[in-house]
Amino acid sequence: MFSIYKKELQSYFYTPFAYVIAAAFMLIFTFVFNAAIAKIDSSTYQFSFASNFYSVIFYFVFLIPVLTMRSYADERKFGTEVLLMTSPINVFKIVMGKFLATATVFLFMIAGSALFPIVTALNGQVVVSQLICAYIGFFLWGCMCIAIGMLISSFTENSIIAAILGEIAMLAVMFIDDLSGTDFIAQFPAVQSVLYAFSAQPKFAYFSQGLMRLSDIVFFISAIAVVIAWTVISIEKRRWKRG
Amino acid sequence: MIKIENLTKYYGSNRAVNHISFEINDNEILGFLGPNGAGKSTTMNMIAGYLPMTSGSVSICGVDISQEPVRAKQNIGYLPEIPPVYPDMKVKEYLSFCAGLKRIPHSERKKEINRVTELLKITDVSSRLIKNLSKGYKQRVGFAQALLGNPKFLILDEPTVGLDPNQVIEVRNIISDLKKEHSVIFSSHILSEISAVCDRVIIINKGEIKAIDTIANLESSFKDRLILNAKISGKQEHITSVIRAVSGVKHIVQVTPEGESTYIFRIQLDGDADTVRNDVMSALIANNIKLLEIFTEKPNLEDVFIKLVNQPSNRSSLHDLVEEMTAGDTGSDSENRKEEQ
Repeated sequence: MFSIYKKELQSYFYTPFAYVIAAAFMLIFTFVFNAAIAKIDSSTYQFSFASNFYSVIFYFVFLIPVLTMRSYADERKFGTEVLLMTSPINVFKIVMGKFLATATVFLFMIAGSALFPIVTALNGQVVVSQLICAYIGFFLWGCMCIAIGMLISSFTENSIIAAILGEIAMLAVMFIDDLSGTDFIAQFPAVQSVLYAFSAQPKFAYFSQGLMRLSDIVFFISAIAVVIAWTVISIEKRRWKRG
Repeated sequence: MIKIENLTKYYGSNRAVNHISFEINDNEILGFLGPNGAGKSTTMNMIAGYLPMTSGSVSICGVDISQEPVRAKQNIGYLPEIPPVYPDMKVKEYLSFCAGLKRIPHSERKKEINRVTELLKITDVSSRLIKNLSKGYKQRVGFAQALLGNPKFLILDEPTVGLDPNQVIEVRNIISDLKKEHSVIFSSHILSEISAVCDRVIIINKGEIKAIDTIANLESSFKDRLILNAKISGKQEHITSVIRAVSGVKHIVQVTPEGESTYIFRIQLDGDADTVRNDVMSALIANNIKLLEIFTEKPNLEDVFIKLVNQPSNRSSLHDLVEEMTAGDTGSDSENRKEEQ
């Protein structure tokens, strides 16, 4: 598993790939940050980094499929999947190695954003506990999206298709919450509560308010576990019916 | 030993491999011969554990590959048809990654990588990106990967495709050397390549085994079945009777007219070719017949291959087939080839 992890990290960092996405993330973060502090003159507005993170996810979510699109699609395109599958290593370890490597890249990206609170702390005040909470939530939420993106990458051998399908999936993840709030869905309380249970956004909102609830942590971790298990099944299944 | 029993593979309703069974012994090079689309790659993919089989079993040193894949795969080095290399990696990095995948202990990795890069003569490209290498080098990098960790069994799917003639010979020599410590299954659609290195050959077409036999058997089937070609001028009936009278002539396979009163006789010999040829020549001269040209023709291995591949039923040995082919009533080899094409 470690060799796959290492190889994946190399493929992110030896190419401009990870840096470009990290730069794009920083750009988004900067825009959101600037937009937020521009409103600071208003007497009713209170700036906090945690709510800043909440805004960032609306834009940042669409970068994740770009990060994950190649993970399995390229293996199939270059025929290197055969190498992995014929090595004495099981599919779960391959999937975990790849997932952890991408999660590490993600960690590297969000580490860059720590620059803003640090600079702010030098000249003002930052609520550290709330910030840490927001970071944990952001990381969990990102890992869930990464797992989904990688699952989609395992469906196809074309990384562009993986990216497009990934974007659609990200949209779905984002809008489940809005959907559950519509009047139409509100007519069916049972459906509404199921949809709400599946929406990640309100759970992230608790984190960004500085609330770390066990149920939310369990939600993210179990979502990641389910998607990873699905990826393993998807890879195994495709081998069975491959033509 | 690898034991393959009743291996079958369907792609949807399309049957790619149909109930094939064979064994690979230790320290043996087994050739896997068949035309394109015969099921060679599918079979090899199943033996290597990449594709699951529809039915049947593959056991490697007694370990079933679908029951305990991780343990079974430890004994296998596999070079697929397309070398499984990452274009964005350097050769060194790639091999070290593969060494990790094959669980070679850290302390031995460097030594092992040096061993395979030297064996395949890729040391000079080891710090280059794989995407910048030529097809031949990529192929050798893929081959090096299969050799990492010194697995007991090597499965090589067309390892010489895309190599220049010098490299082909080098790779063949490497494969022959590997026999000391490994068993090799080696596929090709080129017969001469198989006969150059393999101990035993499996001929496969449309997912079915057409023949399993040793190269030695195959060759010995031909030794006593030489054909004499003679360009002779004279009366056909006369010549025929003179030739038939010579002992050691089995029969006349074919007579082709070449211009006025000149014929090419194809004569099947029985016994030592040199003696019979001399006898035929002396008999012709003694009867005042003009002999214009004479040479012995070895039965063409390619014809055997084409014939085997196209025969409808399973046959247990090449010997039977060669017997049938050279029996005479099948007509000339070249005609057969035309028909079958």
